[in-house]
Amino acid sequence: MNNTWLEKNTFHFSDFKDLRNLVEVKEKKNLTISLCLPTLNEEKTIAKEIIIMKSELMTRYPLLDEIVVVDSGSTDKTEEIAREYGADVYRASDVLPEMQNFQGKGENLWKALYITKGNIIVYLDADIKNIHHRFVYALVGPLLLSDRIKYAKAFYDRPIAIGTNIIRATGGGRVTELVIRPLFSLYFPELTQILQPLSGEYAGYREIFERIPFPIGYGIETSMILDIYEKWGLDVIAQVDLEKRVHRNQDTKALGRMSFVILKTFLNRIEKLGLIEKKKEMYNEMIQYKLEKNSYKTDIRQVVEQERPPMIDILEYRNKFLPERKASK
Amino acid sequence: MRPIIEREIVIFLKIRGSLQFINSIDWKLKMENYIEEIPSYLEKIRSVKEMILANIVMIGQVPSPTFHEARRVEVFQERMFEAQVDECTIDEFRNPIGVIRGTSDKKPPIFVVAHLDTYIDKDIDHNYTIRKDMIHGPGIMDNSAGAAILVSLPEILRKLELQFESDIVIAGLIYSIGKGNLQGIRQLLGAWKTPIRGAICVEGGELGRLNYYSDGTRRCEVECKISADDGAEYRFKPNAILILNEVINRILTLRLPQRPRARVIIGKIFGGFKHGIIALEGTLGFEIQSNSDDMVKTIFRDITDIVDGLSHEYQVDMKLKTISSVNASTLSFSHPLVKSTVAIMKKLDLKPKAEPSGSELSIFLSRKIPAVTLGVSRGHNYHLINAQMEIEPMYKGIAQIIGVMKAIDSGVCDE
Repeated sequence: MNNTWLEKNTFHFSDFKDLRNLVEVKEKKNLTISLCLPTLNEEKTIAKEIIIMKSELMTRYPLLDEIVVVDSGSTDKTEEIAREYGADVYRASDVLPEMQNFQGKGENLWKALYITKGNIIVYLDADIKNIHHRFVYALVGPLLLSDRIKYAKAFYDRPIAIGTNIIRATGGGRVTELVIRPLFSLYFPELTQILQPLSGEYAGYREIFERIPFPIGYGIETSMILDIYEKWGLDVIAQVDLEKRVHRNQDTKALGRMSFVILKTFLNRIEKLGLIEKKKEMYNEMIQYKLEKNSYKTDIRQVVEQERPPMIDILEYRNKFLPERKASK
Repeated sequence: MRPIIEREIVIFLKIRGSLQFINSIDWKLKMENYIEEIPSYLEKIRSVKEMILANIVMIGQVPSPTFHEARRVEVFQERMFEAQVDECTIDEFRNPIGVIRGTSDKKPPIFVVAHLDTYIDKDIDHNYTIRKDMIHGPGIMDNSAGAAILVSLPEILRKLELQFESDIVIAGLIYSIGKGNLQGIRQLLGAWKTPIRGAICVEGGELGRLNYYSDGTRRCEVECKISADDGAEYRFKPNAILILNEVINRILTLRLPQRPRARVIIGKIFGGFKHGIIALEGTLGFEIQSNSDDMVKTIFRDITDIVDGLSHEYQVDMKLKTISSVNASTLSFSHPLVKSTVAIMKKLDLKPKAEPSGSELSIFLSRKIPAVTLGVSRGHNYHLINAQMEIEPMYKGIAQIIGVMKAIDSGVCDE
């Protein structure tokens, strides 16, 4: 396998540091850019994400046109704080309310397509502790400066915050290394060049996002890469080094549940592509064990991974966006 | 008839007196004009809230313990560059400096400075949390907020449409606190060969502080080490902690005068290995403070005698080291800079609280440069990892800093 994609389509955030130039290109191309932050109980980090993006990429350099928070029903002050600092805040269940309501990050990202106005949409996880505006401009950069690239994904070092105060310098990305990379190596070796396929920070053109299905939960990143790769090829994808991202550490059991969903999404996708044939349906229960009073108890979680169809197939969406597009043409 | 030279001197002194008088009227008139405007700054400062908070987060999240400020220096400079100051540089000592050009090339510059180092270790999680009314993060009050306000100043001044006759020199200072011994400001001023009109030292907290004099201080450490060579006598060796305890007891017996004001603060002690083992090492940290440098020297000599005596008495290796020292210096309360600052604070409904400060202020004052130290906001747990700063009072904190810059620019330090 050659690494030409890796060499050609891998960037460093500093390649896009000239924000004035990015704004000029954006204006020249007559594009608008939306930032979407999917949230569920993110009161500790949401304010600074909004503040930094607003200050640096709206006030100082008008690169972003809107900041939208799509919340899954936080029980803390996430929505109130986000509103206080000037984001447009939506409860996911209030968007397209006539459709069945699901809860999950993928659901929020999918509904963001209906709410946001931008030609380019940037998705950022809302739990980034060391947030910096490079998380946005570095993802938007390749899309603006190259006519070929339609989707850009972040990669970084992943220090983990242990407890409340101490940072461990290395680690993270365990699901990537133990689950996704082996699967990609088995079926799509060229996709192993994407260094962090599960990173929650990516940006792309609306025309890409609206044409792919969105699993509502953890499977979203995996399916997105596979679908974009399958429909448009690897060449439309870029990856950008953001250097360091500090995130909350998750325990092994939580990562196990995440891996369960990712494996299921992956197997379903490759079955659809005719790469494997399943002799029986997979189960929807993740079975784990915990020690309680010297005996092992089962801890069974139902994990049903629903999937939203491509947004372009939704009538309300077409009514909202297609006339505008026709008019602009 | 007096000799010609004497007459000329008398005329010269009269003219100089008149000029001073005219200058005094001049700044008082100017001050009357702008002091009324100061409360109106608040809304405009509030309108750039995101930019100020973004700077606090971006600067505060970079760990910056003393002697390890390099990364924060980079961020400070980057933020200054983004703020489009007229000049942006790093001096030979690695202090980052920005300059906003004034309208006059004859007036000396006004310095606005803040130290960039904090007491927080670099391995501590420096991620900040912004809530509705409060920012939480280690080092925010001392002095991440102070440094962030400095890099926000160019944007705020643009928003307020303020111009100054003097250049405004905005300097972040490294190697300041503790063992840094104010090296950053010493080096900056040592290398600055031309006059400085006046200075403001910015600290994160506490809003309402007005420091215009600094005590003479000497920060010291006593290290007690007991040889571990002789295993047979291990359990009967002298105990480093008990010997340091004796040092403390003897310091407490020193008779300290009320005038000149003097005190010894016992600030730090650590030593030993575990519960059941005699401590073979220990360190005691203390600071001598007085408004008289001679008194600081006298007390230091007394403590040296105590340490030498106990070292001899117990036959242990005990050393007294000076970590840092600052000379006492002061502006009088009647100095126009102090009086104007008080007036500005009162105009903003702030109650000035005067205390001695051992910070950068002392270095300015020792060089006869009029200066004050001001606090940005109110907060809690200043030196703990769960430090907090209130957001709303910050606007007054910034307004007072700009007010004092205006005061200096109108000539209050020129007499």
